[in-house]
Amino acid sequence: MLEKMIFGRYIPGDSFIHRLDARAKLLFVFFFIMVVFIANNWITYGILLVFTFLIIKLSKIRLYFLINGLKPVVFLIIFTFLLHLFFTREGPIILDWKFIKIYEEGLKQGIFISIRFTVLVILTSILTLTTTPISITDALEILLNPLKKWKLPVHELALMMSISLRFIPTLMDETDKIMKAQMARGSDMTTGNMKERMNAIVPLLIPLFVSAFKRAEDLATAMEVRGYRGGEGRTRYRKLEWALRDTLTLLTLVVLAVILVYFRN
Amino acid sequence: MKNNRVLILMEIAIFAALGYVLDMIGFGMPQGGSVTFVLVPVILMAFRRGIVAGLTTGFLIGVLQVVTGRFYAAPLSFEIVIAQVAIDYFIAFMVAGFAGFLRPAFLHAFEQKDKMKMVRAVVLGTFIAAFLRYLAHVTSGILFFGEFAGEQNVILYSLIYNSTYMIPVFLVAAFICSILFVKAPRLTLPNLH
Repeated sequence: MLEKMIFGRYIPGDSFIHRLDARAKLLFVFFFIMVVFIANNWITYGILLVFTFLIIKLSKIRLYFLINGLKPVVFLIIFTFLLHLFFTREGPIILDWKFIKIYEEGLKQGIFISIRFTVLVILTSILTLTTTPISITDALEILLNPLKKWKLPVHELALMMSISLRFIPTLMDETDKIMKAQMARGSDMTTGNMKERMNAIVPLLIPLFVSAFKRAEDLATAMEVRGYRGGEGRTRYRKLEWALRDTLTLLTLVVLAVILVYFRN
Repeated sequence: MKNNRVLILMEIAIFAALGYVLDMIGFGMPQGGSVTFVLVPVILMAFRRGIVAGLTTGFLIGVLQVVTGRFYAAPLSFEIVIAQVAIDYFIAFMVAGFAGFLRPAFLHAFEQKDKMKMVRAVVLGTFIAAFLRYLAHVTSGILFFGEFAGEQNVILYSLIYNSTYMIPVFLVAAFICSILFVKAPRLTLPNLH
């Protein structure tokens, strides 16, 4: 049941994109989402595609992983494409068959939105494929630091995030183990009707939760013993380092935005 | 002396991780969506440690999903992408923490050893959690469908579409939480360990 579970999608590597600072990558993706919406005609969408292709090349990620990441959204892409195709009623009619009428503008919008969708999914996939969740968390903590002014517990949230990320694989193993242990006792949560399956899930959850609380208590004790006092003045084990290439990467985004603005209608 | 604050932080962290894991196992639904147990840890934390802990647990689950790349948003405009991620992931799971409103009622029923009242509190708490999450998904659905269908029926589309999976999610969570909290009330009472 849990074999299909793959946690996180980070693939170790040593490409230019892998080496970028996680903060730079996060900012890049955030602003890229903005820049994508500047495009509004064939040339600008073409430029976006070429730009994305270059990033894929730079990240040295096998196309297989990216296509895998696209799989779950293919349905959404097709769905939005069809919605645009049938609901946009502008421009000359290019197909008129029985009750179906397709307008030129609809087809165009459908294609554009599919490109936008694909490009965005690829870019966010590259972020999660080349950056460990833990460095994304560290980057988020630093980037959101100014929010501390408004009493947002940024440090505590980031700490909990790192702990969660650290324990997700452990908890997966444990879930799997308890499932198998209960199956060995004759409980079966993969077959039967809804009620039978739900009854089978309770003997899984109770040991899982009890041991999770135990784990939390052990962790708290361990932190206490080591004198954990919260964010102020705490040093880091993992350090993020901003380099020239990070600044340059963000600059390419500005260049892309300027080019897109120049070529758009 | 135990520092309760650190302990609560750790419980939230571990249960957010557990929520993330439980979001991957569930029943496949005929129409494609899936019914998972992600709400159970959030409701448990809300009943054990109160509303704020519940809200934080839910919020963390949302952030975990975004950080690990398990999220989708319709790229209709910059605002919609940001709003959809915020509503569908951060807010939708977070508001489930409001199940904690029923915590006093549950504890009261527990002291009276009235199992019926305990179940009622749990079911009502789960209902609040599921209903608020449903409202969040409906809102983001309106944003999404609104781009295409104009003004008409957008709200209805979203209400119907989201109820197809949220009703089973609620029923499953209510069933599991009531059995769990009534059979093992220790889980919801931090001081009984």
